[in-house]
Amino acid sequence: MNAPILELRGLRKSFGETEIIRGVDLALDAGERRALIGPNGAGKSTLFHLISGNLAPTEGSIAFDGRDITGWAPQRINRLGLARSFQITNIFPKLTVFENIRLAVLRQQPQPTAFWRRVDRLPGLREATDQLLERVRLHPRAATLAGELSYSEQRSLEIAMTLASDPRLILLDEPMAGMSAEETDYTLALIREVTAGRALLIVEHDMDVVFSLADRISVLVYGQVIATGTPDEIRRHQGVREAYLGEEVAA
Amino acid sequence: MRTSLTLLLGGLALLAALPALLSAGLLNAAVQMLIAALFASAYSLLAGRAGMLSFGHAAYFGVGAFATVHGMNAINGTGLLPTPLMPLVGAAAGLVLGIVAGWFATQRSGTAFAMITLAIAELLHALAPQLKGLFGGESGISSMRMPAWGLNFGSTTQVYYLTLAWVLLSLALLHFHTRTPAGRLTLGLRENSHRLRFLGYDVHRLGVSAFAISGLFSGVAGALQVVANESANYVVFDAGVSAGVVLNSYIGGVSVFLGPALGAALMSFFGYAVSDATQAWLLYQGVLFVLVMMFMPQGLVGLGGAAARGVSKLGAARAVPLLLLWLVAVLLLAAGTVFLVELLQRLCSQDYRALARAAATWPPVTMFGRSWTATGLATWAWPVVLLASGGALLAFARRALK
Repeated sequence: MNAPILELRGLRKSFGETEIIRGVDLALDAGERRALIGPNGAGKSTLFHLISGNLAPTEGSIAFDGRDITGWAPQRINRLGLARSFQITNIFPKLTVFENIRLAVLRQQPQPTAFWRRVDRLPGLREATDQLLERVRLHPRAATLAGELSYSEQRSLEIAMTLASDPRLILLDEPMAGMSAEETDYTLALIREVTAGRALLIVEHDMDVVFSLADRISVLVYGQVIATGTPDEIRRHQGVREAYLGEEVAA
Repeated sequence: MRTSLTLLLGGLALLAALPALLSAGLLNAAVQMLIAALFASAYSLLAGRAGMLSFGHAAYFGVGAFATVHGMNAINGTGLLPTPLMPLVGAAAGLVLGIVAGWFATQRSGTAFAMITLAIAELLHALAPQLKGLFGGESGISSMRMPAWGLNFGSTTQVYYLTLAWVLLSLALLHFHTRTPAGRLTLGLRENSHRLRFLGYDVHRLGVSAFAISGLFSGVAGALQVVANESANYVVFDAGVSAGVVLNSYIGGVSVFLGPALGAALMSFFGYAVSDATQAWLLYQGVLFVLVMMFMPQGLVGLGGAAARGVSKLGAARAVPLLLLWLVAVLLLAAGTVFLVELLQRLCSQDYRALARAAATWPPVTMFGRSWTATGLATWAWPVVLLASGGALLAFARRALK
């Protein structure tokens, strides 16, 4: 068994008096697809912010691929090979779709912030951008302003930007939120395709998506992981049914 | 593509031919216009493309100016840095201050960023009169343009060509910057710096780089002013200089590369042409800024786009007369406003009130080369008619263009 790609140990986060994350231990294997579920306010998004460097934990440690990344700046974590999307669409709305993806792909160039070379002369940049556009099927929309895309197209754009750094671990925060059934199916297939060979940690409320996509599921309730297991184990887990799934079924 | 190339070449040819066409006084004004255009372009890299509204850009202009005047006096225009290369000193000074100030200012964004830039400029403005050795006190520091490369820089024409060469080179470099990775990332910085961070970019470094490059070219503009004037005074640190470059850039329109340059050239030309004729120049400048911001948020370059839209919608045959009508309406409104402002300014001046008190009546005022009775019907009918007809025409033209 390989060492886990992501390991959280005794992670805690408080905002003033309120403790949102109350001691989370979590280990994610390389190439594993893991879903994180839990009721609203359980701290799922906060956990994502802690892992990606958007927030610093109050206590505990985060290790990525064996390296302690606790308290690192987001850009440094990203460069190690951890990329994320956001629950609320987070793109460059007034730039074209092409430009959005190019800015993401540009980071992989040897000199991404050069001011002495023309961006359209950088070798391979255009090809890599086009490839990624085709991969998420946004190629026909390349010249459109990102802010004018439909909602699900913007989510696809988010996923493309997340993929641009060729990350080993992807965090997706509710990629299906607000989508129709058709769009959900489409995005599910897309996620399955583009995350092949990478580790994935996904927060999602759509249980059909979670149970069909995830290798394993962790359940977060009130800032603590109460269970981790395969979809079948989680379905049968008594505590989970009481804390979370029971409500979901009853509703 | 072809039209813009033709326009560009035509513009360059016109700029090159100006010394043959203009008097020495106007050519001096053209030098000031070029410098203002460069300063506004440098400013707009930061304010327009990077989305960081600096309220203290006089600092980088002024530092470039003083570094150059000291450089001219120290090196005497010989050796490694003859007079034509002096703006390099200003560039270096602007760059260094840009890096230092930018490092602090870009720690924050939005209002806090604007306040830090303002504070840095005001700091220099307050400090400069105290440091007489460095900034020359009230009288400033003067210098001489030394002959170099077989040119003596004694005539305005030579100064004009030197300024033109530097301004064109700087604008070309600034335009090149928009095509580089750093330039594209500058746009990302404006649009969503948070996302940029999660794409793996060091947002602070990108911000400092945009700030520093803007400072560098502001420094070149300051240096060119010193080369043209052969002196520098601490009034270049005045808040009015910082405000002027903001107004010029936004009146021109920061969304188009040459917008700020055109706005600045236009405004400094008006300043030159009008400031002798009226005491209300600052009022006109302010009114123009407010009107542009209210009705043309894209700036004056937005007019071109609006006109093009009108032509494509209504066809040239119908749109062009309407656009001309619109222009006439705006001119009428401007004439009416100027008439009223000038009249009121004269009637409210201290001189006039003293005269009126002494004569116990309303003496006539002189305006536009003739005398107007203060209570005469014509005196007040003119602005009313101008404004009313301009307003009516404008309303008609706008409705027809919609």
